[in-house]
Amino acid sequence: MPVAPRNKPDRQPLSGNEASVGSLPLSGRVAMSVSVSDQLIAVLPRMRRFARGLTGSAVEADDLVQAACERALTRAHQFQEGTRFDSWMFRIVQTIWIDQLRARDTRREEAEDEGVHLGTDEPGRRVEARLALEEVRNALQDLPPEQRAALMLVTVDGLSYKEAAEIAGVPVGTIMSRLARARVALQARLEAGGSLRRSTEDVKADG
Amino acid sequence: MSKPTDERLIAYLDGELGDDERAQIAHWLEQDADLRERAGELSESAALLRAAFDEVLREPVPERLMAAAHGPAAAGATLVDLAAAREQRAKPRTRERRWWVAPAAAAAIAGLIVGIGISRSVLPEQPAATNVTPAPSFVENLGGYYVHYTNADTSEGTSFDKLPPNFRVPDLKPWGLEFRGARFLMAEGHEAMQLLYSTDNKALGPVMVFVGNFSDGDRGVKFSTSGNVNVLSWRSHGHTYAITGTVNTNYLWNIHNDLAYQFDGI
Repeated sequence: MPVAPRNKPDRQPLSGNEASVGSLPLSGRVAMSVSVSDQLIAVLPRMRRFARGLTGSAVEADDLVQAACERALTRAHQFQEGTRFDSWMFRIVQTIWIDQLRARDTRREEAEDEGVHLGTDEPGRRVEARLALEEVRNALQDLPPEQRAALMLVTVDGLSYKEAAEIAGVPVGTIMSRLARARVALQARLEAGGSLRRSTEDVKADG
Repeated sequence: MSKPTDERLIAYLDGELGDDERAQIAHWLEQDADLRERAGELSESAALLRAAFDEVLREPVPERLMAAAHGPAAAGATLVDLAAAREQRAKPRTRERRWWVAPAAAAAIAGLIVGIGISRSVLPEQPAATNVTPAPSFVENLGGYYVHYTNADTSEGTSFDKLPPNFRVPDLKPWGLEFRGARFLMAEGHEAMQLLYSTDNKALGPVMVFVGNFSDGDRGVKFSTSGNVNVLSWRSHGHTYAITGTVNTNYLWNIHNDLAYQFDGI
């Protein structure tokens, strides 16, 4: 098992036509909306993945992303030039999600449609891989919300601790400790559930 | 330095430590088998977590989210509206467009198509071009497309999508290349398709294949470069084809021979 540190992509600040969003005159509302829309479309898949990890439900996740899009379009003027659009959107997604958690006594319903859909002719190896991934998703939902968000931002999306801290609005040290607790807890749950006994090759077979 | 805690070990695995501490933990890992095992477990669970959510990136984005991203004006968009928008975008464009403008428009168009369910049957027939000679500009831009869509930063969120099961895709496995997905785009007002093939062999790198639904006459293979990207293009049977990659031209030439044969069959 490799133990070398991950090589994070050398992320760059927004440039080119992405950065031009903030430089458009505020009076150019239509032009700005179009530009923000283009960026929203580009980041939609990652927003959906982030939201899926937070909510544990495909339907709730898409509702969350839709609300985030609507909020972003109405508050496009708040986007700061030179900052990352994706981080801004992640922050909006997380803010709305936290608001929703606070507004209701969240009792997570059983996942509706993202359960394992197993075909009868599906190879056994692939079935195992899908089960393992389902266990991982379920284990994530057992973690406290703030740990879940940290895992999705850093471990899944590959953001740096600093970027994740800015999105969460907490110090880097807080993100570091949340991640550590989350990773340890996740690892323990997966080990108990047997997911880690299934080989990584099995998981790759699911791709 | 005392034995690293889980927190420091995880920060090490995440590449978040400074040089000194990273070296110290690397030294600990060399000496301590238990720590190595622990690091391995943590790495494995992280890899599983990523794998568990990566499939979301490959899902088609629901139409309602595409509409939400376009704003209130598009919130009530129907399939007809989207088709009309696509047709509008398909009109011939001016030739002074820069290559990096096209990916943004292409992403939007591909997103629209994906959002309503990607299918060849929903793609409109493109009107014949009467006042453009698109091929040279399209081919010249391919190096830029390649760089854009194979760069981890610029291609973020523009995932390639699976095609319908009945869609025949050229098989490049004999060349060590796995088909990863496709994007529909408009090239100079014409429908085109961008196929992405990848490999674990970094010496070969990703290879992109472009098929444009236009041609002003058959011609043989033309070789060009854009930065460190090699481009082989040719025209046949009313289509413009191209292969791009950073791998050497001999390799691309061999792929071209295979592709030309397969495209004739398709």
